Amino acid sequence: MIRLDGVTVQAGDFLLEDISFMVPPGGYAMILGPTGAGKTTLLEAIAGNGRLVRGRVELHDEDVTDTAPERRGIGFVYQHYHLFPHLSVRDNIAYGLRRLPPGERQDRVRELADMLGIVPLLDRAPSGLSGGEQQRTALARALAPRPRILLLDEPFAAVDPATRRGLRGDLRELHEREGITTLQVTHDFEDALRMGDHVAILAEGRIVQQGRPEDVFHYPGSAFVARFVGAGNVLAGEVIPEGPSDRDGRFAGRFRSGPLAFDVVTERSGPVHAIVRPEDIVVSRRAHEGSARNRIQGRVVRLERAGPVTQVFVDVGRPLVASITTASAEEMALAAGDDVALTFKAMAVHLV
Amino acid sequence: MTRPVSWPRVVLTVLGAILILFIIGPLLRLLLQATPGGLGRALGDRELQQSILLTVFTATVATLLGALFGVPLAWMLARARFRGSRFVQGLVDLPVVIPHPVAGIALLLFLGRRSAIGGTLADLGLEVVNHVPGIIAGMLFVSVPLLVSGAREAFAQVDPKLERVARTLGDTGWQAFRRVTLPLAGRGILAGAILAWARSVSEFGAIVILTYNPKVASILIFDRFTAFGLSSAIPAAIILLLIALLVFGLIRLLEPARAR
Repeated sequence: MIRLDGVTVQAGDFLLEDISFMVPPGGYAMILGPTGAGKTTLLEAIAGNGRLVRGRVELHDEDVTDTAPERRGIGFVYQHYHLFPHLSVRDNIAYGLRRLPPGERQDRVRELADMLGIVPLLDRAPSGLSGGEQQRTALARALAPRPRILLLDEPFAAVDPATRRGLRGDLRELHEREGITTLQVTHDFEDALRMGDHVAILAEGRIVQQGRPEDVFHYPGSAFVARFVGAGNVLAGEVIPEGPSDRDGRFAGRFRSGPLAFDVVTERSGPVHAIVRPEDIVVSRRAHEGSARNRIQGRVVRLERAGPVTQVFVDVGRPLVASITTASAEEMALAAGDDVALTFKAMAVHLV
Repeated sequence: MTRPVSWPRVVLTVLGAILILFIIGPLLRLLLQATPGGLGRALGDRELQQSILLTVFTATVATLLGALFGVPLAWMLARARFRGSRFVQGLVDLPVVIPHPVAGIALLLFLGRRSAIGGTLADLGLEVVNHVPGIIAGMLFVSVPLLVSGAREAFAQVDPKLERVARTLGDTGWQAFRRVTLPLAGRGILAGAILAWARSVSEFGAIVILTYNPKVASILIFDRFTAFGLSSAIPAAIILLLIALLVFGLIRLLEPARAR
């Protein structure tokens, strides 16, 4: 468990102010925020690097506010990995294991290298490794001493998309197997949706919103959060396949979220999040014919005008938002309480 | 098609070439002066042998003392952004701009028998001026800025996050320093120390005022030059030059690996 209570850190000119949140034992939480929001500073505060101006840090019901970093039982994976350049991959992983007898140490190194698929790299120097290989080595090194808490600083930022997918899967599996309370920092809201069961949005040194990922994305508490998560419509639900798969494994399916259901094209089935960009939704008075598969009736809740763009918030049994030009909103004379049809292509639904 | 002559390039090349010639010309001229017989006689010269041994010994002691006090300071200067750290850095670099005889006179006033510190040391049986410790003091004063700068640079090259990673892996601050920082900065510190050692070996101005006798190599060369003329100074000069070239080669061996 990680519990922060009013944590305030001064780092140069930057102030991380009054941070409070909790990650339950075995939980996977995300800190989401733009560059410069103080995400890394927050991780450093939990790890014990740098002094708090105010506040308390508790790890597994133990107040560690004044505890040295080496006594906190934390594994920390930095964004740029920071492997020890003077040590081999093997010695990097074994770094935190010097209190173990040599036999057990080698067994643990082997076990982690197996788990992360880096056995062939053990005798290499870190300088020759690819980003993904460095990342796996850094992860193995952090996990080797069996920390109670794992802190990950943008673990996917510096690797290519294919590696990222593999690492995401590995991380989730590791998290489930070892049951380590994990806190990950990211600026990618898809990471947060896929991995986290709790998300806190950090902006300019403060937490502006926190909660279950889909709630935060669904009900952004401020324009900043809405802009930052940028997705507009995020729906938790599940996909039921309805057609055969093509060569790439894609199939036509039906996505259901409570009373709402629409067509999708995807390679995933089971529980997922559906994202529909507001600008992909067409608003009309009457459902019209066309190639778009999904036509949903709803009632306008409110309109938000921002210059040439108007956001139309519609209740379709779930809240959805559509972006249309202000000119067309005026042409249709849209107002709260109007019945409208929302139309979007199955291809416009992004499932994560 | 011939390319047009680039006159600025020609000028730059000629200017550079003249300077290079000015550096290696005299050194080559001196080395060409060496004859097997002359070198053999120089190596058999008891006074020269003792003088070189004394120089190597005092320079080594000065370098070790500099490392003992300077490496921790270099670490603080590289890591801790304490109030006045730039000022302290400036103080450490000060000896570089002080004419060496001036440094010698200042040290003489500070460490001489009539000064508080020199007097106390003499009462404790440690004579500084006109004795071996005077040589070491002069060498330390002029060479320690090189050691501290080299070590500071080397420490600054080590990412502090590496130390933090080591701490989260169970190391205390000292263990992280010993297992991560020192191995990574080691080459740079060593290069700084060798540079300081070479500077100590070549020191003349401060030592000539503090301790003329026993004579270190540079003073022996000067002494022979003034007493017996150029030809008696040459063999000793060549031997000192060879030592310098050896050190130069050592530093060159360390540097490319550090840059990588």
